[in-house]
Amino acid sequence: MANKLLKKENIGKLIEALNNEGSVFVAPTNPTSIPPLKKGDTGGFVVYAPVAKAEEIMFDYIIPRNSFKEFLFPQTEPIAAFTIGKEGVDMKGVEVNPKETVIFGSRPCDAASVASLRAVFNWDFKDEFYNRREDKAVVMTVACTKADDSCFCTTVNLTPDTPNGSDILLRETTDGYYAVEAITDKGKKFIERFANIFSSKPQAPSLQPIADVKPIAGIDVKKIKEWLKDTKHYENPLWQELARKCIGCGACTFACPTCHCFDIVDEGSAYEGERIKNWDACQFEFFTLHTSGYNPRDTQYKRWRNRFMCKFNFYPSKFSSRGCVGCGRCIRVCPVRLDITEVMEEISKL
Amino acid sequence: MENTLRQKAKELLEKGDVKVVIGFGWNNRKTRTTPVFITKPEDADKLIFNPLCVNNLSLYLTRKFADIKALGKPAIVAKGCDIKTIAVLISESQLKREDVVILGMVCSGVVYKQELWKGVGTDFKSVPTDIMPTKCHNCDVRNPHIADVVVGEKTTFMPPDVPSGMVFDKIRELDKKSGAERWDFWIEHFNRCIKCYACRQICPLCYCERCIAEKNMPQWIETSAHLRGNLAWNLKRAMDLTGRCTFCGECERACPVNIPLNLVNQKLALVVRKAFEHRAGYDEKVHPPMIVFNMEDQEDFIK
Amino acid sequence: MSSHTQQEQVSGFEPKIVAFVCNWCTYAGADLAGTSRMEYKPNVRIIKLPCTGRIDPLFIIKAFEKGADGVLVSGCHPGDCHYTTGNYHARRRWIAFKSLLEFTGIDMKRLHFSWVSASEAIKWVDLVNNITDEVKKLGPFVEYKGLSER
Repeated sequence: MANKLLKKENIGKLIEALNNEGSVFVAPTNPTSIPPLKKGDTGGFVVYAPVAKAEEIMFDYIIPRNSFKEFLFPQTEPIAAFTIGKEGVDMKGVEVNPKETVIFGSRPCDAASVASLRAVFNWDFKDEFYNRREDKAVVMTVACTKADDSCFCTTVNLTPDTPNGSDILLRETTDGYYAVEAITDKGKKFIERFANIFSSKPQAPSLQPIADVKPIAGIDVKKIKEWLKDTKHYENPLWQELARKCIGCGACTFACPTCHCFDIVDEGSAYEGERIKNWDACQFEFFTLHTSGYNPRDTQYKRWRNRFMCKFNFYPSKFSSRGCVGCGRCIRVCPVRLDITEVMEEISKL
Repeated sequence: MENTLRQKAKELLEKGDVKVVIGFGWNNRKTRTTPVFITKPEDADKLIFNPLCVNNLSLYLTRKFADIKALGKPAIVAKGCDIKTIAVLISESQLKREDVVILGMVCSGVVYKQELWKGVGTDFKSVPTDIMPTKCHNCDVRNPHIADVVVGEKTTFMPPDVPSGMVFDKIRELDKKSGAERWDFWIEHFNRCIKCYACRQICPLCYCERCIAEKNMPQWIETSAHLRGNLAWNLKRAMDLTGRCTFCGECERACPVNIPLNLVNQKLALVVRKAFEHRAGYDEKVHPPMIVFNMEDQEDFIK
Repeated sequence: MSSHTQQEQVSGFEPKIVAFVCNWCTYAGADLAGTSRMEYKPNVRIIKLPCTGRIDPLFIIKAFEKGADGVLVSGCHPGDCHYTTGNYHARRRWIAFKSLLEFTGIDMKRLHFSWVSASEAIKWVDLVNNITDEVKKLGPFVEYKGLSER
């Protein structure tokens, strides 16, 4: 159970100590570069980004717009460099030596997604680019005291204070502290390292109540998985109807904490260049385009169906880990409000 | 107003003139609007129209949506700004005027992003002006200018003579700054671009079947999300929209990282208006300015 | 040694100027400059296109991306286009593109447009010399080159 406290005012000291050691402190923040939505607005657009001072942290947030997967699996990163000379091609792999990255203010749903990423990046090949970053990352989750109407963690069997995937779980108290609980060894060592910043609690702190996220009544995740497994349902005309409005923008994929597909491209000139790994999305038209010109997922509903299948059928079956953590980012960021929970409700009804 | 719309939609579907009505509907929890495709007359009651109806539905009339085209002749619920886009699509031969039934809605301004308005009721008059996008402040098509049916009472709103609002104020502010300051401004923004291409997907006028960004022999626009690739992509898209963009603002709304794309597209629109005396979307019979030319185009910058 | 190559040894930075020229007028003009043995600054790299109407703004962006410090775009005078109307279309495009790049903050002293006909060899020589000097004063295009660093 929680046996330490972290005063909100001391977070600045923590950041300073980490920055002095060359580590990166990522927290929910509202970068001033993002234009306000309306005149006089301070933004309200919260993202995970490295911060240098405690003043930059937004403490009053529901969930950042992006997921922190970009700190474990960057949007674009070179994986090899090559030069082409008279002797032929000389290719060198890029060694990744990440700095320690503390992700403060992660939400329990985001922390739960780490297991999913780890599963895919260690499946048939141990991806060092991911593994080294994950090893150096310390996930400090803050349990949710607020939720909005797009959150649905309880519907996928998680809770707003789930410890899965976190190294340290923080719960807000009623008097400006966080009750600190080490979940993993890494978390325990981290607290010991900064023992002067984490104080011991004199008595049980009074905790803020955890957000009440009611599971959506009409949804039965087990039933959905069974329905999806049955190949007869693959060509059900319901898919076309449900996904008709999808525009294939890929915003859901890029915002999702468990989505992990990537594309390898070469960039450069006839003499030198780099091989780069970039995020890719199954929602893009040419994701499954074969060199023959045939595209098995040539219309948008087929691509959206794949997304749903991947999250609730393929992924859980193949890796025994969850494809969806119920964070609701896909719903918030979708320009046409294609709500994955509504599709889940429709299928549960069948 | 919604009742008239539903009635009209029902009539069109019953008569068989129209096979699908593309409009707005509520989501299950009745908190947000979302595009709906009504194919049966009894479903016409799902149609709604209120300030949360921000989407530009003319997107679904473009060639990318082959399965919607396969449904049959569409009727579309369109605000003035959406009709402007339809006019540009018609002028570019993507659509024939007689192949779509336009249900023009009289609009008094929508909200910039749906989550901004915890709207009480759906009365247009109750929307505070500071959450309306710039396009609504300067709109001169609140009464739809091209439509088969106009739904709603005529409004007498007159936009200001000099374009005003956040987008135009920012453009004026940027114009006064030095080149280096502008460069810093744009680099800060394009740094955040994640190359998700949501701006392209939601734009009804980005309908190329094979986007230049997807061509890789040679790779004209790098797909990686570094600054060099981001700048090339955003500049190219702005150039391809020159003289065609109708300021529906969807690109900026769809952008998951809030890049102020309206600034770039509207700056070009102002340039086009001044140099070629053309405003996109008012007349579907006029050619887009970049495919025609004038012998008297200015050339004071050409040596 | 010619005066131009002597100058190169003295100063440091030599700008790379990429010139997109049309085959029928400007290229012929540059060719005439060559056959007449006119000397001019060697910083320009000429890319021949059938007509300025072929020039996509992306070419200019690509030139800057790949390391050009300055770009020159040149074609036939209005009314003289070999394909009748190519340069009129190009002119329209340039009006828009120039405003866009200016708005983005790129110095317009790095991007030049001109009409050079097949007989205007002297104009070509003066143009290249002047543009090279101008871009040299501005220095390397560090802003664009700096984009390659992550």
